[in-house]
Amino acid sequence: MAETEWEPKIVAFCCNWCSYGGADTAGMGRFQQPSSLRIIRVMCSGRIDPMHVFNAFLEGADAVLVTGCHLGDCHYVNGNYKAQVRYQFLEEMVRELGLEPERLQLNWISASEGEKFANFIRDVTAQIKQLGPSPLKPEGVN
Amino acid sequence: MVEIGDKLLGYATNPDVRNRGASGGLVTAVLAAALEKGMVEGVVVLKRIDEYEAIPVITDDVQEVLASGGSMHAVPVNLAKYAVGRKIAMPGKPCDVRGVIEQAKRNGVELEDTYIVGLNCGGAMHPVVTREMLIRMYEIDPEDVVGEEIEKGKLIFKTKDGEEKAISIDELEEAGYGRRENCRYCTIKIPTNADLACGNWGVIGELAGSATFCEVMNEKGKRLLDNAIEAGFIEVQPADEKSIAIREKVNKTMLKLGDEWKGRLLTEIPDQERLAYYIEQFADCIDCGACREVCPVCTCGEDSKCTMFHSLADNYKMSMYHMVRLLHLSDSCIGCGQCSDICPVDIPVTTIFRRFADPAQKKRDYSPGMDLQRPPFLELMLK
Repeated sequence: MAETEWEPKIVAFCCNWCSYGGADTAGMGRFQQPSSLRIIRVMCSGRIDPMHVFNAFLEGADAVLVTGCHLGDCHYVNGNYKAQVRYQFLEEMVRELGLEPERLQLNWISASEGEKFANFIRDVTAQIKQLGPSPLKPEGVN
Repeated sequence: MVEIGDKLLGYATNPDVRNRGASGGLVTAVLAAALEKGMVEGVVVLKRIDEYEAIPVITDDVQEVLASGGSMHAVPVNLAKYAVGRKIAMPGKPCDVRGVIEQAKRNGVELEDTYIVGLNCGGAMHPVVTREMLIRMYEIDPEDVVGEEIEKGKLIFKTKDGEEKAISIDELEEAGYGRRENCRYCTIKIPTNADLACGNWGVIGELAGSATFCEVMNEKGKRLLDNAIEAGFIEVQPADEKSIAIREKVNKTMLKLGDEWKGRLLTEIPDQERLAYYIEQFADCIDCGACREVCPVCTCGEDSKCTMFHSLADNYKMSMYHMVRLLHLSDSCIGCGQCSDICPVDIPVTTIFRRFADPAQKKRDYSPGMDLQRPPFLELMLK
């Protein structure tokens, strides 16, 4: 079998109304994206518990992306503001823990921004390829 | 009648209480008066077992309160969880008070009928470490000790033969004994968050050692003090400017020393080595959950995220339990040090938690447990 290039595993939490739609639009618009992405759909970015992010890392994700509607556009009034506050704490904690900043990212993507979504995934994948596998990845998981 | 913001010098009228108390027995008398006059149903006191051990109990016996006077430096307990919805009065170190207030803010306890008398604190010692220190540094048998005292930066132990031995606290701490690590870099020495802030700093001249400096912080503190004066349990006089200045000076000196210790104990770890450091520290964890049990600011209760979604069988590189707790406490950790004290495998839990909490709290200028009016951070952000 030929040596294949290491492909990172990226977990993206997408909100049902905007960024998941954005991912859809990216597909419909035929924007090329790497196959490194695993999307987890949540109803709102406010649903994303920091624990979900920890669990993703501990189960072997090389990067975790938190995405949602643009601020002010939340389907549930202020869910993404809640996500933002939570993310600030989460981000500080993950930095202090010693994980590279590129491994946890936040982005607001609307349902029409397919290209933005695809570009975002491409950028993150390139960054993570440079960094290599996450130090929190359990043994035996690639 | 006293006013809010008054700074007073006071002492117990009962000579026995006054002598037994560490500095005039004011706090003991105030608590006893509150109980006697029915302001509260019970008072939290430390029931002494020996020099190194005491258990906090809630008593409704005035005599027991009066008999509880005197300070113990080797008994670190945090009283936050005793305040739950009861009509009680309790004394407390600054970190005790912070724990109670942070709990109240997160709807953990109701403070409507709870009176808190804060005590100045320069630090407490761990009982086990104290025993070891007595054997190694003082060369006396821990069982022979009948009393301890701190004077001019020296820790003095008295034995039952009437001998005294003093060693400077700096020297003890250089050798790894003395105050607990978190006490060395604690940032709150005067409990301005309590109803009354009491202590012996700033008591000078002929009153030294037999009176307490007391600041009235709020309406509840005023009621406590008025009640004790009316009942004839205490006598107070206004503190002069010299006293106030000295108290301030002692506080500043202590805080400055604390900053130095913080620099020494919370040394910067390079980014690349951090994860390895934390993984190594937590690798010893036996998952007993005691650090959560004693934590005075934890408000999740029994079925909490840190325990429900965590299993040792997951065999993750880092335990979910600690990750969740590190996040939860980054805005509420008060650095009381109980988690380090209780840890059966000696993980420096408090120091690790402070590494996460310090930058987060500094960034938001949020000091947990200091102000009952200021809501927790998430709530504040959404207003």
